[in-house]
Amino acid sequence: MDVTLAIAKNLLRIFSRDRQSIFFTLFFPITFMAIFGLASSGEEEPIGIGIVDRAANDFSARFIETLGANPLFAVNVDSEDSLRQQVVDGDLALVLVLPERFDGGTAPADLTLLVDAAQARQAAMLRPLVEQALLDVERELRGIEPLFPLTVVDVQARSQRYIDFLVPGLLALTLMQISVAGSGYNIVEYRRKGILKRLFVTPIRPSQFITGIVIARLVITVIQVAFLLAAAVFLLKVPVEGNLLELFALILIGSSIFLSLGFWMGSMAKTQQAIMLLGNLVTLPQFFLAGVFFPVDSMPGLLQPIASVLPLTFLVDAIREVIVNGVSIFAQLPTLAGLAVWLAITLTLAIRGFRWKEVAR
Amino acid sequence: MPIVDARNLVKRYPKPGKKREEFLAVDGVSLAIAQGEVFGILGPNGAGKTTTLEMIEGLSDIDSGEVFVDGIDVQKQPSRVKEIIGVQLQANEYFDHLTLSDLLRLFSQLFHRNNDPIVLLKRVELEEKAGAKPAQLSGGQKQRFSIASALINEPKILFLDEPTTGLDPQAKRKLWKLVEELNDAGMTIVLTTHNMEEAEYLCDRIAIMDHGKIIAAGTPQDLILQYAPEPPAAKLHGNLEDVFLHLTGHKLRE
Repeated sequence: MDVTLAIAKNLLRIFSRDRQSIFFTLFFPITFMAIFGLASSGEEEPIGIGIVDRAANDFSARFIETLGANPLFAVNVDSEDSLRQQVVDGDLALVLVLPERFDGGTAPADLTLLVDAAQARQAAMLRPLVEQALLDVERELRGIEPLFPLTVVDVQARSQRYIDFLVPGLLALTLMQISVAGSGYNIVEYRRKGILKRLFVTPIRPSQFITGIVIARLVITVIQVAFLLAAAVFLLKVPVEGNLLELFALILIGSSIFLSLGFWMGSMAKTQQAIMLLGNLVTLPQFFLAGVFFPVDSMPGLLQPIASVLPLTFLVDAIREVIVNGVSIFAQLPTLAGLAVWLAITLTLAIRGFRWKEVAR
Repeated sequence: MPIVDARNLVKRYPKPGKKREEFLAVDGVSLAIAQGEVFGILGPNGAGKTTTLEMIEGLSDIDSGEVFVDGIDVQKQPSRVKEIIGVQLQANEYFDHLTLSDLLRLFSQLFHRNNDPIVLLKRVELEEKAGAKPAQLSGGQKQRFSIASALINEPKILFLDEPTTGLDPQAKRKLWKLVEELNDAGMTIVLTTHNMEEAEYLCDRIAIMDHGKIIAAGTPQDLILQYAPEPPAAKLHGNLEDVFLHLTGHKLRE
């Protein structure tokens, strides 16, 4: 144990003296989070809708007023030519043309929707909203109550912004990246420089060395994550609903998984270039598939089974549940089991694959 | 009983470029090194000197053969062997950002010891550099620091792999003096070298290796008499370099 602690202590001493490392490990993730925070903060931009009012009567004015009251829309009434141009320029999502016979009479009045075919997808999304607005106006004018009124109640009982969804994912993502790099990159460097061989000359055992590095990296990781979390809470006003101790327990588990993964890769790679490539090979797919930026459920069906068993997916899920929904980790046993399986796999690979000496020439 | 007893050591490596084929980096090497000796292993680059040392030190797996260091079987108890030997490697890199004192303290802990770094540094005349980083040392100072870190466990046997390669004459002489002092205090020393003057000056006995085999062994004097008795010019007889070239040929290696 004293050997393990001696290794851990000295690695921490090295870290504390390495100003460049400290700078990048702390400030890069915070900058990253700040940029994401700024990019996604604020209200959603309202959707620009143009209206050509050919009827110009009370009825059409009421309609325009109803539509304009919806915060989702920014309504712009103008001539058809001008509005057409704005659609082409991308300033408006669509233009609604109200016909002259838009008077609430019994005969149906045909409305025309002008859209940019290049943005047909967006227009398709908007159509039901426009139709709903029309329906509301129609009901109001005819004085009838909706047959099936729908009341929306938020089960979370609090607003959730995209940033609240994103931050736990970013936390887990950063954790993966610093852990894989922390073990993998360093181990290749130590081997290449002959430092591992220098240690191997002493009676130290691989398990003592690996444990020493893991302890040191976990300490560093906890500090980094604490900084990140502080940035998220104080700068981005992301509330942490769950238990902080449980959150850090998850962070330790996740970090151990990715440190072990890094060790294993570090034992296979001969050069820094090789470890970078290997690292990207392992981290990049998880970057996109693990539900960091958007939920796994929204991915193509083919990818979902793969995405849902990735180690980062389990970690993102668990951390998000704790931060956003305040769910205890003990209420997430299947996710914990997934993490445990990954920890067992990666730890075994790390210890079995560890080599003091050159990777086979 | 010899303190280092190596019998028929064999090490195979894949041929560079042809992974399927193997070559014998070490091909049946036997060595018997007596307690208190300074023993030199000479040979051109790629002769198998370092691999032989590493098999004795327990750093490299032994494909066949056996080694006993102070009666301990290296293959069965490599960590017990590491407790009683000191090893200076060819590469002298250490963790960045740690001073000589930090490193010696760390290595002491790996041996479960509590050495005073300053005492160790004094033995190699580096006490003034206690707060320096290895990267700030000259070549000779690096080698001496490397020996200091090999002395932590007060080893019975000290292995030096090309300790003076790349050093200037002053640094080289200083290192020789250190080796002599350690040997006078009773330490057995095993070293590899390209430097014939060094082998002649320091070594009680020498083994010359080429292509993984020992091709001659004996005291420097015996080897000179046997392989270089005829001096090319006015000298009484040739020197150890003549022996070396006679035995290993004049073709350039690597």
